Amino acid sequence: MLLYNLSCLDQTMSGKMCSSSSSVIQAQKLVDQLRVEASMERFKISLTAADLVQYCQEHRRSDPLLTGIAASSNPFKDKKTCLIL
Amino acid sequence: MAAEKAEMDALKKECDGLRAQIEAARKAVNDGSMSAAASGVASVGRVQLKLRKTLKGHLAKIYAMHWSADSRQMVSASQDGKLLIWDCFTGNKLVAVPLKSAWVMSVAFAPSGNLVASGGLDNICTVYNIKAASPKTLRELDAHTGYLSCCRFLSDTEILTASGDTTCCLWDLETGKQKVIFTNHIGDCMSLALSPDMNTFISGACDSLAKLWDLREGACKQTFSGHTSDINAISFFQSGNAIITGSDDCQCKMYDLRSDQEVICYQDASLNAGVTSLALSSSGRLIFAGYDDFNCHIWDSLKGEKVGVLSGHDNRVSCTGVPDDGMGVCTGSWDSFLKLWN
Repeated sequence: MLLYNLSCLDQTMSGKMCSSSSSVIQAQKLVDQLRVEASMERFKISLTAADLVQYCQEHRRSDPLLTGIAASSNPFKDKKTCLIL
Repeated sequence: MAAEKAEMDALKKECDGLRAQIEAARKAVNDGSMSAAASGVASVGRVQLKLRKTLKGHLAKIYAMHWSADSRQMVSASQDGKLLIWDCFTGNKLVAVPLKSAWVMSVAFAPSGNLVASGGLDNICTVYNIKAASPKTLRELDAHTGYLSCCRFLSDTEILTASGDTTCCLWDLETGKQKVIFTNHIGDCMSLALSPDMNTFISGACDSLAKLWDLREGACKQTFSGHTSDINAISFFQSGNAIITGSDDCQCKMYDLRSDQEVICYQDASLNAGVTSLALSSSGRLIFAGYDDFNCHIWDSLKGEKVGVLSGHDNRVSCTGVPDDGMGVCTGSWDSFLKLWN
């Protein structure tokens, strides 16, 4: 239903005839949604990217896939048994 | 009719104006890049993980997998019509859940470990109690009018679903009813991820857009564009301030939620395969992305460089997951195997 209305909306917006005020309702919904998205406060990438970098750096020592895992404490490694010959 | 055309023209003008306003606002904060911010960061070098286990048991393509919160158990779903719950420390199968419909596309483990959910071309999200003597169907959540592409538990009483009917939905498991329906995508929803603080979630769809939603209000708060094809995979960066997407356009992207735009793109001229799945290492520094080329490529999330590859599958890597303790990566494939790497 929604897909039909939105494609109808595109057609209407390009000037072709379409069935009634459901297109107007859809267009209004689009405007309302864009208003919500337009209203947010945005922060500079220089700051936000630096913050993401900082997060990675702060957590790097506790990231096992970065630091490596000792064989003895590796939960996925198959433990081989030793045979004394 | 003329009055309606005039109204439509006015609304179209307002739409165009708002889109221009959003673009201008994004441009205004575009004063840097991730490359610049990461220029002083040491390289991770070559990341070489070893194959630790190959989990054999499924008889057909694996479509989805999800780690338990205990970082030990994992559930996988295959179009052989079964869910398998594995103990990844031993490689043993713990539980087999036979599915009513074999056409499964998604699987999820509840944080409690008591429940799993799955769904696919049957349009239904079925929730199972796996702690019972034998797996018991708890709920059949049947309201989507399209396939179930993704599901994630918030708790034992709430679950989020994404569907080919272009909507996402929050369900109450006690009543089996829909609580909130999230509509705004104009293409099949393919993937979703919950924010670390559980107040929001993100969805990726075939309209090439990623959207951020307020879980309780039901409203779409932000829309991220840039991909040129279906977004198949989506994940939150651990801090909750950024999201990573993977697409059929062969690229992954990171979008910062506060800047409301893309901050880095992960692409390689030699990579001509779509991204099917992705997961981050616990610090967020490494992105494990599964591709149609049978490999899982590893990206340095900050520098945008390919730093490794997990090779070994004989068919498309369809799902990827890192457990909460970050101790490894699991890849699942159409070759019917799951592999554990670290």
